[in-house]
Amino acid sequence: MSDQKDLQRPPAEVRFADELARLRADDTAHRPPGWALSLEAARRFIVGDESRDVSRKFVGDPSLVDRCLVTLATSRGLLLVGEPGTAKSLLSELIAAAVSGESTLTVQGGAATTEDQVKYSWNYALLVAEGPTPRSLVPAPMLRGMAEGKVVRFEEITRCPLEVQDCMLSLLSERVVAIPELTGPDGMVFARDGFNVIATANTRDRGVNEMSAALKRRFNFETVFPIADFATELDLVEREAGRLLERSGVGAPPRRDVLEVLVRTFRDLRGGVSSTDRLSTVMSTAEAVSVAHAVGLRGWYLRGEAGSAADVVECLAGTAAKDSPEDLARLRRYLEQQVPRRTGAQWRELHLARHLLPG
Amino acid sequence: MGATFLGVRHHSPACARLVRDTILDQRPAHVLVEGPADVNDRLGELLLGHELPIALYTYHRGDGGAHASWTPFCDYSPEWVALTAGREVGARVRFIDLPAWHPAFADRDNRYADAEIRYAEAVERLCREFAVDNVDTLWDHLFEAAPEDGLAERLTAYFDLLRGDSAASPDDRAREEYMARWVRAALARDDGPVLVVTGGFHTPALRALVADGVRGWTRPADQAGGGRATTGTTDRDRTAGGGEPAGSEPSAGRAHSGEVGGSADGWPEVPRSTGGASYLVPYSHRRLDAFTGYESGMPSPEYYHWLWHRGVGAAADELVRSVVTRLRGRKVVVSTADLIAARTLADGLARLRGHDRPARVDVLDGLTGALVSEDLDRPPPWARRGPLEPGTHPAIVEMVAALSGDRVGRLHADTPAPPLVAAVQAELLAAGLDGAGLVGLDLADPVDLDRSRLLHRLRVLGVPGFARETGPRGGGDPEPRERWLLRPDDHRVPALIEAAAHGATASDAAGAKLAARLPGADVAELSAVLFDAALCGVGAERVLALLADEVGRVGDLVALGRVLADVLSLWRHDRLLGTAGSPALGAVVDAAVTRLLWLAEGVHGGPAPAEPGRLRAIVAVRDAVRHAGPVVTTGVPEAVAVLSRVSADRRVPPDLRGAAFGFGWSLGCPVDAAGAVRGMAAPATMGDWLAGLFALARDEVLTAGGVVGVLDEVVDALTEDEFLVALPALRQAFAFFPPAEREAIARMLLELRGVTGSARALLRTPVDPVLVAEAGAVEAAVDRVLAREGLA
Repeated sequence: MSDQKDLQRPPAEVRFADELARLRADDTAHRPPGWALSLEAARRFIVGDESRDVSRKFVGDPSLVDRCLVTLATSRGLLLVGEPGTAKSLLSELIAAAVSGESTLTVQGGAATTEDQVKYSWNYALLVAEGPTPRSLVPAPMLRGMAEGKVVRFEEITRCPLEVQDCMLSLLSERVVAIPELTGPDGMVFARDGFNVIATANTRDRGVNEMSAALKRRFNFETVFPIADFATELDLVEREAGRLLERSGVGAPPRRDVLEVLVRTFRDLRGGVSSTDRLSTVMSTAEAVSVAHAVGLRGWYLRGEAGSAADVVECLAGTAAKDSPEDLARLRRYLEQQVPRRTGAQWRELHLARHLLPG
Repeated sequence: MGATFLGVRHHSPACARLVRDTILDQRPAHVLVEGPADVNDRLGELLLGHELPIALYTYHRGDGGAHASWTPFCDYSPEWVALTAGREVGARVRFIDLPAWHPAFADRDNRYADAEIRYAEAVERLCREFAVDNVDTLWDHLFEAAPEDGLAERLTAYFDLLRGDSAASPDDRAREEYMARWVRAALARDDGPVLVVTGGFHTPALRALVADGVRGWTRPADQAGGGRATTGTTDRDRTAGGGEPAGSEPSAGRAHSGEVGGSADGWPEVPRSTGGASYLVPYSHRRLDAFTGYESGMPSPEYYHWLWHRGVGAAADELVRSVVTRLRGRKVVVSTADLIAARTLADGLARLRGHDRPARVDVLDGLTGALVSEDLDRPPPWARRGPLEPGTHPAIVEMVAALSGDRVGRLHADTPAPPLVAAVQAELLAAGLDGAGLVGLDLADPVDLDRSRLLHRLRVLGVPGFARETGPRGGGDPEPRERWLLRPDDHRVPALIEAAAHGATASDAAGAKLAARLPGADVAELSAVLFDAALCGVGAERVLALLADEVGRVGDLVALGRVLADVLSLWRHDRLLGTAGSPALGAVVDAAVTRLLWLAEGVHGGPAPAEPGRLRAIVAVRDAVRHAGPVVTTGVPEAVAVLSRVSADRRVPPDLRGAAFGFGWSLGCPVDAAGAVRGMAAPATMGDWLAGLFALARDEVLTAGGVVGVLDEVVDALTEDEFLVALPALRQAFAFFPPAEREAIARMLLELRGVTGSARALLRTPVDPVLVAEAGAVEAAVDRVLAREGLA
């Protein structure tokens, strides 16, 4: 941990270490047992507080943050659901950093996730040499979170096999993990105050429908929605895309009018205008940022300028329509029929570039 | 003696409480309330002892058409409390705002909407500052769920901040100047404390206006003017009256001194309406909650009703009880564990958000967290502030229903009847429809058309005793006669009083009623509403504007095609009902074309029997782009481009591909028809493809000629079995041609083959087709036997 400078993406508690320190120092409100911050301070850390120079890190509804924090203070786990790219993981990282001061106790769910990766496994060399002892035990994030009283993040929980999901059941209700190989007090790891679970699940790959009712009951569901406000989303895309472009060595910041076209198009295709069907591809803000990034790269490295609306069309074809011909058709129809209704040079440019769509 | 200004939010229990306490404490001589000044002489009517909610319904017919608006009151309206508490302490209570029909209200339906919403920037800043989702949550946080200490100061600070230096609209300024004149008049009388209760957004401006104007304003000067007043005041009159009273200036003096509220002179004159009236109507919490956008005010009337009567804690309990009862009534399991979880969450949220007891959104958030174990499709309406959207989670639908409640107001028996009752009776009398029995009407006759419209309006309003026995059934129906059966019914008058809430005349009421049927309606219902609107000759513009919106969401190609065909024929031909060329119909045509093109491109699926509804939809699109060009924004080239893609797409069912092909051809685009026929010549798909083609481009097929020849070749080349496979669909396809055209095709075939003979005879075989088929079967059997024996 000596040098954090060259890390590509340090965890939230490192990135915002000074803000956390200041909030902790000023925090006079009551803290739930095991929490690093009070609920008020944790909320301030996430939604921001200009008067204390705390940046706004999550631009969604503030009430969502309230509900998440209160849920974590109760005996139920928190399950963040939503479309991909709605900043669920960011939110869970921020909450974990605020509540426990540590956001790295993370299980990444997937088809190959096993119970070992959730609870514990063994160091086999030691296991053979010494037999099952606390020394040969390799605790996984859940076990560590329980023993240390920290918040554990479980990303993409619904992508795990059902039996792995269900190993969370006793853990969440009994708040204890039994290690039958160990004897004595070591054989039971009880959860300390401060332990809870933030799981995330996205509604696209495999929804929460397959989750067992028993497990559902142990979580409070919070749906994270795409950003409601156009200006907020535009600002966010501009900021993030600008940062990415800078890091990619692009000298021209993205054009505001092009970004406007891009963000508006994303919002429309997400299901905004009445006569357009939603694309089946995810039209998230994150995706908009990556398209804006690609647009900027094209403009800069192909022509030495900021990207244009025509670049938007080319990039949309690759990212938004991905491999679905239906989506491509929808996109084409959108460019043909909805775009001419809008006024402005950038929209005209977009309309004129519609033939750049493949097929 | 100065005036006390109380800025309130309309329908806010906290403000109502403040108003009541202030009145009881100050015992003012004058209570001036934001409300229509023209009903001051009828305040007694308001206090007859109604069951709230009720509303003052104001209706005005001006040059720009009819306009109706409501001034709703419920138990906890600060204005209502000012009225009743003011009367209790013996104050003179007056409404001081411009009448609802004044031009300053031209685009308002709800007098007590939140004015500050229109100036959103300050609200947004505050929401950000307090980290809440929207203005309603902010309001609960700062006022309804907050301790009462310092409420008045907080309100003042809040509204001062909101108003800031934002420029109010000319309408708002006109109203404020007018209200300021009342305050000055009351102050000038100098007979006791003056309390002014107005929307908080207006209060800072009002206070400034009164402070500025009070020096230059003296009662004797005004009296000396005798209503014509000094120049300064006349200028204000003009601003405030928006030109309305200027024309009647000489008589305005008399109105000024004699008529206003029966009080002595000195009060500002009240602009008198030329064609408007205000009546009390029963109102409901649901309607109070149904205003949206700039018309919206405090949401969740039932919740605030509980809050007003029983306090924050009890309101929260009541909300939970109501939601749970509703959900259990719908057989949704709500366990005790869920309730405990909901309560824990709500309490936790209340504590985090700094509320002594859970406020509205705390409870709702708690319930949602405990009861919804799924991802939500849409944010709950209290997070994003707006009406329920389709696809909202059922539990949330019930929560919103519980917040709105079912409470309905009732008027005291002595309340003057709403105007609709008398209006309808007069209209029936004038039209000679007040009797009983059968009435025959000829819609081509203007007098009968008016009578028909009246009857249709009453039918739409659900007034019993008017039943139509025969008449036109849809947009394309050319039937010009109607027959009605009239039966006197005891329930007519009550039904009319109910319907009065929709409007003051049969026409307005029917229009509003039709508009109310639109939200959530499917296309069949939409089409019915549209046709009803045409029959009633009412509000078609408004209905259609909504319809144009709804059409954009329809997912059923066939149903939407039917709607477009109906709308298009109403737009093109209907001089009978007077809808031809209507721009609003044009907008629906436009929206439907856009949507249909969209839907057409999404139809995929293998070979399937031709679906006539689908083909009719494409025909309707073609007719629309061909005949309604000026109103359809999708140009012919764009439409043709879409459908040529459809026609080339192998995943599209053959009938639609044929129709899409015929689409371009019938619009005059150069096509290779013969090549296309050859390309679709597989026996299983040929007939269906042709059905599509013939549905669209019958004429082109006949005149271009080439297709018939190619078809002849293709059919000729079919084997016996293939022909049998293709036959049913082919028959269906050729059914698109009327007999005369079929004969023309037969003639072409004869010519092609160089045969002379009667074309008609080809179409009408004198022999039973079953006999022919049997003969064919025998022949085939013989052929097989011959072949087997090597004799063929």
